[in-house]
Amino acid sequence: MQNILQVLVAGLAIGFIYSLVATEYTLIYNATGLVNFAHEAFIVLGAYLFGGTFVMLLPERSLVSILCTLAAMALFGVLVSKTIFNPLRNMTFATYAMFGTMMLSRILTEIIRLAWGPIPFAVKGFLRGSVHIGSVVIARANVYIIIVAVAVVVALQLFFKMTKTGKAMRCVAQNKDAAALMGINVSKNINVTVALSSMICAIVGILITPLFNVSLAMATSTALKGFCAGVVGGFGSYPGAIVGGILIGLLEQIGILFFPAVYKDVVAFAVMILFLLVRPGGIVQARKS
Amino acid sequence: MAKQKKPLFLSVAALLALLFLPLCVDMYIQTVVNKLLINIIIVLGLNFITGLTGQMNLGTAGIWALGAYTYGIFTTDLGWNGWIAMIILILLGIAVGRSLGYPSLRLGGFYLSLTTIGFSEIVRLLITNITWLTGGVIGLNYIPKLDLPFYKFKGHGDYYYLLLFFTVVAVLIAHKIVNSKWGRAFKSIRDNAEASEACGIKVSTLKIQAFTLASLYACLAGGLYAGMVVYINPTTFTIPQAQNYIAMLMIGGIGSVPGNILGATLVTVLPELLRSLGDYYWLVFCSLCLTMAVLVPDGLYPLIKKALAPVSGLWGRRSKA
Repeated sequence: MQNILQVLVAGLAIGFIYSLVATEYTLIYNATGLVNFAHEAFIVLGAYLFGGTFVMLLPERSLVSILCTLAAMALFGVLVSKTIFNPLRNMTFATYAMFGTMMLSRILTEIIRLAWGPIPFAVKGFLRGSVHIGSVVIARANVYIIIVAVAVVVALQLFFKMTKTGKAMRCVAQNKDAAALMGINVSKNINVTVALSSMICAIVGILITPLFNVSLAMATSTALKGFCAGVVGGFGSYPGAIVGGILIGLLEQIGILFFPAVYKDVVAFAVMILFLLVRPGGIVQARKS
Repeated sequence: MAKQKKPLFLSVAALLALLFLPLCVDMYIQTVVNKLLINIIIVLGLNFITGLTGQMNLGTAGIWALGAYTYGIFTTDLGWNGWIAMIILILLGIAVGRSLGYPSLRLGGFYLSLTTIGFSEIVRLLITNITWLTGGVIGLNYIPKLDLPFYKFKGHGDYYYLLLFFTVVAVLIAHKIVNSKWGRAFKSIRDNAEASEACGIKVSTLKIQAFTLASLYACLAGGLYAGMVVYINPTTFTIPQAQNYIAMLMIGGIGSVPGNILGATLVTVLPELLRSLGDYYWLVFCSLCLTMAVLVPDGLYPLIKKALAPVSGLWGRRSKA
């Protein structure tokens, strides 16, 4: 019984991480039509900014460090959007844009390596330890991940429904020409979207620091499985991203109970390929790209 | 238009340079050149599916791994002759190509790239974990080269000639296909699949054929690679390596055989040349790639062709679009 609860909580936690990753690239995809292959580098950048810079500079690992990281990542997102995403989204063939974002990912990883060094490190005492619920021991990191992820998802939905910028983003996602006719500055809106997406990447980066330690390759499998999660749930839809992420996270952890743990990574890809062949719209049957 | 003869001395000079290369260069450059020949073969195959047909294929590393490991297992564990292993690789290439081709019929663009990534990662994870067959992370060692009945290859220097032979054959076949009706049918799918279907081109059959060609090239290159490096392990066949091949394709020139060769040469050789920049060489190289992706997405070869157009009479190019 204790085992099952731990597995469920761990699955839910990592599932929410995948959901957040799926949400952030859905944001960029809905706004620009680009698939952001560089999100892995964004996540790692967020983690390095948090663990490498702000935690060192500021006296304690407080909310202030997190907020500084978010602000820095938002600025970074605007910069990338202005210089790279805007020219890329007008390319003739989709393969060109995909290639551009792949190269962006490599450049970012190299810059991170040159700025902070290649040696992995851990952020001391951040979300370590465990929580006791009755007789069950659960990692504190997992609990925080679930709470923060739910908060982010709810906040995003409120942002889309209540604020002017959020509504403008939904308009841009539906039809850029109509949005421009309504007086929405499409390029500026896309910059804001990418900034928001970068902030979510930073949150993901900070959340997985206790799980994977801060290193250059910490987000590789997470980012790929985030793609799988989005596709399984329904590519391009936010509820789909959440559902897909949780499903893959749970399946992964439950799978450990049945076959050797080394094959854990295969689960996400196998499930995704299955869904692509059988039900390409995903769980929520979203409109295909 | 009448085909003008290329000046004879240029061809002879190029031929002599290629033939006498091992005698003039040291072991390091020889290894780089050998690796370049293998990359050329793989990129020529990738060109059929991503360059001509426009379907993003990131599974090259997985197919290449399958080719290398199959060759390695058949020649070391089973002790079969290298040439028989190559025939098995041809069959493997056709099988893998058809099985990867079917998902591509229902999926496009991003979904297909994800599926190929998934395929490549599953192959890599299986290779890493099925230890009794593939040696796991320890890898396969003492893989014999493809020996001729009368001559046993002794190292990189003479293996170069076998690689050169295979590369030349691959280039000629690719050139013939790209400039034929088959090649133009591939190109039409990239430009507008519905229009080609309306003109009577069977898009689904062609997509599977393109994937099969790409797999054939990658598997055979895998077998040659295994023999060349003698020791293989799963860490070589990763997604970043597949992205390298896409880079070679995009930078050199999508769709044309000289473009592919140019791209493979640039991406294989440029990092080595940039090593003088020390710690920053990879960053400079990737920034160059990104700049070219944004400014010159079609690749460098079309630019070079346009730039050389005024002097094309000297080279004697055939007049074609």
